[in-house]
Amino acid sequence: MTPAAYKSIPLRLALYALMAVFGVVFLLPFLFMLSSSLKTNDGIFADFASIRAVLPVGALTGENYLHAFARGNIGHYLANSLLITGVTVLMGMVVNSLAAFALARLEWRGKQTALTLLVIALVVPFEAISVPLMILVAKLPGVALGADGLTMTRSWLDTLYVQIVPFVANAFSIFLFYQFFRDIPKDFDEAAYIDGATPLQVYRHVIVPSSLPVFATVAILQSLTMWNQYLWPLITVPGEAARPLMIGMEQFFGARKTAWGEVMAYASLITVPVLIAFIVLQRWFVRSVVGSGVKG
Amino acid sequence: MNRDRRITPLVFGAPALIGLAVFLVLPFLMALVLTFTDQRLVSPQPGAFVGLRNYQRLLSVGALVQSPERDRDTAYVRVRAVTRSDPAWRGYRPLGDFRIGARRVTILAKDPPFLRALGNTFAFAMMVVPLQCALALGLALLVNAGIRGETVFRAIYFSPVVMSMVIVSVVWAFLFDRDLGLLNQTLGAISFGVVRPVDWLGNPATAMPAIAIMSAWQGAGFQMLILLAGLQGISQELYDAARIDGASVWQRFVHITLPGLRQTIVFVLIVTTIAALGLFTQVDVMTGGGPRGATATVMFEAVRHGVREGDIAYGATISVVYFALITGLIVLQQWLMRSRARVAG
Amino acid sequence: MPASVELRNVRKSYGAAEIIKGVSLRVAPGEFVVLVGPSGCGKSTLLRMIAGLEAISAGELRFDDVVVNDWDPARRRVGMVFQSYALYPHMTVEQNVGFALKLAKIPATERAARVDSALGVLQLTQLRHHKPSQLSGGQRQRVAIGRAIVRNPNVFLFDEPLSNLDATLRGQMRMEIARLHQRLMNTVIYVTHDQVEAMTLADRIVVLEDGVVRQIGTPMELYDAPANLFVASFIGTPTMGLFDARVTAQGLAIGTGDTETVRLPAHCAAVPAGTDLTLGIRPEHCTVSPVEGASLRGTIVMLERLGADTFAFLEVPGARDLVPVRLSAQTDGVVTGQKVGLEFDVGKAHVFDQTGMALPR
Repeated sequence: MTPAAYKSIPLRLALYALMAVFGVVFLLPFLFMLSSSLKTNDGIFADFASIRAVLPVGALTGENYLHAFARGNIGHYLANSLLITGVTVLMGMVVNSLAAFALARLEWRGKQTALTLLVIALVVPFEAISVPLMILVAKLPGVALGADGLTMTRSWLDTLYVQIVPFVANAFSIFLFYQFFRDIPKDFDEAAYIDGATPLQVYRHVIVPSSLPVFATVAILQSLTMWNQYLWPLITVPGEAARPLMIGMEQFFGARKTAWGEVMAYASLITVPVLIAFIVLQRWFVRSVVGSGVKG
Repeated sequence: MNRDRRITPLVFGAPALIGLAVFLVLPFLMALVLTFTDQRLVSPQPGAFVGLRNYQRLLSVGALVQSPERDRDTAYVRVRAVTRSDPAWRGYRPLGDFRIGARRVTILAKDPPFLRALGNTFAFAMMVVPLQCALALGLALLVNAGIRGETVFRAIYFSPVVMSMVIVSVVWAFLFDRDLGLLNQTLGAISFGVVRPVDWLGNPATAMPAIAIMSAWQGAGFQMLILLAGLQGISQELYDAARIDGASVWQRFVHITLPGLRQTIVFVLIVTTIAALGLFTQVDVMTGGGPRGATATVMFEAVRHGVREGDIAYGATISVVYFALITGLIVLQQWLMRSRARVAG
Repeated sequence: MPASVELRNVRKSYGAAEIIKGVSLRVAPGEFVVLVGPSGCGKSTLLRMIAGLEAISAGELRFDDVVVNDWDPARRRVGMVFQSYALYPHMTVEQNVGFALKLAKIPATERAARVDSALGVLQLTQLRHHKPSQLSGGQRQRVAIGRAIVRNPNVFLFDEPLSNLDATLRGQMRMEIARLHQRLMNTVIYVTHDQVEAMTLADRIVVLEDGVVRQIGTPMELYDAPANLFVASFIGTPTMGLFDARVTAQGLAIGTGDTETVRLPAHCAAVPAGTDLTLGIRPEHCTVSPVEGASLRGTIVMLERLGADTFAFLEVPGARDLVPVRLSAQTDGVVTGQKVGLEFDVGKAHVFDQTGMALPR
């Protein structure tokens, strides 16, 4: 559209006002969440009928947070979520980028079939296979670390690794890597081969260093997905030991529906770190989304 | 070196491809097989082959047309009496009814909650897709207008996207509260008390729209970024040429912006629709499918039957039907994008 | 109807930076004026200000003596051809050309007639139903011109329209534009960085550097009588050979240190001895001669054989850069590395003072 410099002052003010109104609408739920987390239930009920509902005013207290920690077992669930997200994303970056490298840079029989399968895999939404997948992992023999060491179990359910292993291989990540690798000039590879490199070395020394943006994109998108997982742990992890943060939130909400302040504190504890990460890495987030959409 | 060249790609690709095969393809094939059995989750016996019974139970729908009893025009034979006696209607339950003239038409199905859930899912999609995409387009246009501080606004509009849907559902559950929720407070304030407090999540008529509004709020930022990228791909010179040709702001929007965004808009619409059809988390957290099944969705039913009630064969059936639905949509999208591409040259 | 265009001390600033620093120019109706200059000199900005796409910070812009500073582009009735043609990608050739008329709510019959006429003039009638993506570069450019023609504009504005074409096509389109101008007799303001286009198309050329007008004149005026060093170096291929010189009692000393002296050109007669000057001489006014007895001596570093002409580039002490010399049939047998003498016609030389201004003849 025409650059701002060309617009008249009243038009610019009107646009500013409009953007501000939308901004408020988008921020209101956050403000409510944060403000309520700092008030007692009485405080919340007292303020609900006015603008004070979204402002941290009145008698502020941190006891909601203390209760959330004590009653909500947040520390444990947080550790689980961090572990799940971290391991999945790290392993995923290796596994998926190697596969994309093979598809983009190497010739092999069955490559075309693999590519077709990849495209098909891309369009299947997770929900469609979530229940069947649960049935599968329920029957897979698994392992458990117990007092007597490693023992066999009858299924994968109720573990940490059931939340990790199925998600390491990710069609969308492979796709993003593939598109990016294809844009790197083959000259670099060829120069390396002439210098005597093996494909693995080409991957390590040529492709990966030139691909930091797509690695960042995949890391961000996958981290978001894994961190926010709900449906899968809901149906595969009934117990507390391997429970991730989102299930913890839902349990807490279900158990203490009337303790508004505490629930908001729990929610804030989960949300604020992600928001901070977002503000700091904002540009990377935007790039990730655009990168995933433009290619579509 | 040659042998290496043949093995290496397989080694590189194996973990990912095996992973996809085991955790994507295999479950689907398993599900397909399961749908023809009556296997249950915690049963020691393998399921017996039952043919298409699961599909019949899921999708059977029929209409029962009744004329009034001879002497009394407003009375009809009780539907339950019909379903108990008539073998053709065994296992059916009423879904709803309406009158045509003097006759009553009752829609019967073997799984009315599922069909209702299917209807809810489509209704949700029809509410959230226009809302979210229009909002996203509006925000994209605003942010692209070149006002200073656009990065800040862009971040604000996008921030709900990084919040988990669980958190969003929890917070909005409070916002929707009938007596204390902010939404009713604001509506009451703006309308000076004319608008009475609404029991958003407790009223079957407003529950789904409420979830739609919340979902649009959460997701608009994502589509906004994609539309923004599309907007920035339209050459400024086209707008200059249109200004020289005498086009007003609205005409420039219609003749330059919209055509230039066509591919992007189709993509955004399809992606949003597919995501909408998978609605689960919000419903599970906020309403549990209620009130009275008004917010149950296809995925919700799949999880309810397959996991919570242990009827995994039936749950798999729902998943397969859902998958077919999505595939149909994808095919439609490909067809739409391809015909556009042909036109654009 | 072709209009006259006048700029009176027009200025343009973006924040603190002034891009156009007081440009004044008068274009007569039907005149073909070319704005030329290096990248960043502001020629495109000036054109966009005339079009109404950029605001004018100070000064006046007049069409037919009416101040149009605040008029928006449509009201100014300008036709503009963009560097990348800016054809509406989803419309056919016919629709592209007729779009402005449709916006102006011209009735369909009149619109069709005017579109047909424009398409005919540009030989686009066969392509009327094609989309821009199906056309070649030259065809697209003609559509862009057609879109401008069809509105009978006051002024035609061209923004580097030939930059995206290959050399052969550029030559062809240049001639088409010239012929079109002869036929339509419209007022044209044309922007380019290519001085060959400027020389061949213009009635008058405006040379711009850094937002300031360096000289306005007909092509031959700029070639034969450049007002300053910038114009002298910008116009003419190969560029003018330049020498550092100083006025001495004996004449004009070329170079510093071990120098040669040539006869003092006529227009330096009043210059006091000891003044530093720059001497400029065009390649066609130089000749290569035997080393013995030559005014200046140099080494041939490069030979460019262009078919009809051959240019020798000489390294000469005291010259600012390689000195191009157009070789005649007699002197054609030289080779690179050869030491030769350089003679030139002092009467045809250009002399510039230390500020770059030319000394009048």
